[in-house]
Amino acid sequence: MSDLNRRDVLKLGAVGAAGAVAGLGFPAVVRAQAKEVVMLGIWPFTGAFSDVGPILDRGMKMALEERGMKILGKPIKYVTRDSATQAGASTRRVEEAVDGEGAKFVIGPWSSGVALAVSEVAKRKKVLHYFSGGTEDISGARCHRYSFQWAASPYTAAKTVVDTFMKANPKAKRWHLLVADYAFGWSVEKYIKEVGKTHGLEFVGADRHPLGEREFSNYVTKAAGNKPDVVAMINFGLDAVTAAREIFNFGLTPKLPLIMTWSSGVEELVQLTPEIRENIWVGSNFYYTADTPVAKEFVKSYQAKFGGPPGYAPSAAYGMTRMMLHGFDKAKSTEVPDVIKALEGIEVNDLVGRMRVDAKTHQTLRPFFFMRCKSKSAMKNPMDFADIIATGDTPLPAEYAACKDIGSF
Amino acid sequence: MLYALMGLGLSLITGVLNIPNFAHGALFAVGAYFLFSAIHAVGNFWLALVLAPVGVALLGLAIEYAGIRPLYAAGHDYQLLFTFGLSLILGEGIIVVWGPIGFSQLPPSILRGGLDLGFIFYPKYRLFVMVMAGLLVLSTWLFLEKTRYGAIMRAGIENKEMVSLLGIDIHRLFTAAFALGAYLAGIAGALTAPIRGLSPSMGVDMLGIAFVVVALGGLGNLLGAIAAGLIIGVAQAVVALYWTEASVAVIFAVMAAILLVRPQGLFGIR
Repeated sequence: MSDLNRRDVLKLGAVGAAGAVAGLGFPAVVRAQAKEVVMLGIWPFTGAFSDVGPILDRGMKMALEERGMKILGKPIKYVTRDSATQAGASTRRVEEAVDGEGAKFVIGPWSSGVALAVSEVAKRKKVLHYFSGGTEDISGARCHRYSFQWAASPYTAAKTVVDTFMKANPKAKRWHLLVADYAFGWSVEKYIKEVGKTHGLEFVGADRHPLGEREFSNYVTKAAGNKPDVVAMINFGLDAVTAAREIFNFGLTPKLPLIMTWSSGVEELVQLTPEIRENIWVGSNFYYTADTPVAKEFVKSYQAKFGGPPGYAPSAAYGMTRMMLHGFDKAKSTEVPDVIKALEGIEVNDLVGRMRVDAKTHQTLRPFFFMRCKSKSAMKNPMDFADIIATGDTPLPAEYAACKDIGSF
Repeated sequence: MLYALMGLGLSLITGVLNIPNFAHGALFAVGAYFLFSAIHAVGNFWLALVLAPVGVALLGLAIEYAGIRPLYAAGHDYQLLFTFGLSLILGEGIIVVWGPIGFSQLPPSILRGGLDLGFIFYPKYRLFVMVMAGLLVLSTWLFLEKTRYGAIMRAGIENKEMVSLLGIDIHRLFTAAFALGAYLAGIAGALTAPIRGLSPSMGVDMLGIAFVVVALGGLGNLLGAIAAGLIIGVAQAVVALYWTEASVAVIFAVMAAILLVRPQGLFGIR
């Protein structure tokens, strides 16, 4: 020890010991700085909606890959679990991902019924949960601080659909409704009837069908018997596709207009032929010809990667992930409460246009799209199903709001 | 009539082979997809309607010969597991070959549109399916009742061991029964495609109804399967007129109600 004396060695030793104690004594701080942000996609890879699981996964991955799988300097670890469209399996798997992999940010599932169960897990486990679907309970009766709703409110959907359709068809006053018999169907039915009052609509029939119904002949003959001016469906996926097919087979369309009130757009329309699509009017949370910079870029990338345009499913997954990432950006933090506070009241121009999150309900206030399907001769290419004819973003009026208190952390 | 057709095929397989064929719904779906592909290959709906179920029957032959036959000595549990696994394989196979997104298949142009019956506008294609399914059920019934080979099949349902002791090749009987059952499932699927469209899960929907028909008609009872199919179809149609939400549940409610009174089914003896 030529240049160092005893005092220097003691000083160096003290600094080293302090550093070691800091490392040992504050492990959370040391680990947190290098900690990855674990985001969970709970998607239906098996069971009902299993055709949608892989494309939801695509959408979420695309949004994360745009950021290089990093946020605020931390790596993002993206994990998925199979919701199987079952509440039991989904809740168990979400809990396992939260406890086992440290997932703090959950997006999905696809089914409204399962989403309500996952939302309860999010509340219990204090993780941020984003969902896109038809149930208004996420931002309504079962609202809480940890869950957010990306899809438009069923009221917004109903108002956009009814107002736009009646503007184009002012004489079509007799409506027959075909409604999926669960929470989503009931919500939209309620608002269609409310908005319909302002247009003097007469609801000549309203039949509820079980989820997963495949035999629509009886419903269609009943609808035909009521001699409506229009048939409006409030259902989704294969139920909607099968019903649209039968309505065509029984000769109601194209003579009568058929409204698919809450559709996934591309994913449903691609399953129908141009003949069946004639005189179908479609409401959706996203359509790939949406005229926003973010949508155009997303559609271009998606088409380059996967060959066809994105429908509602991958777009919703992409959109929800982007909203969450906006939350991180605004909060400058990856802590759940910070991101939640940042999302409350956030306003961005994103996938579907101007989007704002209502701090009181966690409902995203945003445009809902209404399209009219094209005839075969008007289609420019096999995927040119429809034109967007209007968007609407009227929020749910306060008198209908069921979320009285978003709660605390 | 489609329910009767599905139930008849399943009842035949269940009766002769004494195993519930969990792959029956998948064979129904394969029939629909074979029709779709055959139409695109040959450009003619009618030719495709002939070819598609024959393809499913050949598939049934292969399944029985290569899959089920080696398991006869292993016991029913293994045969049951095999058909269950097969249903998953066929379902995933449909997704691999044709993709996860469904299609629509329009009826042939001569059967598009409907007939105005005054009180209702009824699709021509549905009327065709009703008649076609009825003819198929009748033909199958006549084959089983009036031909020697049909008699052998019915005897196989009654007493396999005696049939074997009488010098009849019981394995060939099983193969023929499975192939015929598969054919009936396949043609039911092919006929259904223009009505319900095609989707990978279409077989699952139909399998449940087929089992209800078989249970209601009496396990292995062919006349019972026909009657049960008709009863279920009519019950569903009538209930849907007044209480649409119960149109699916009524199928199981009718089954439960009848089995409570006759646990062996309408015409069953075991």
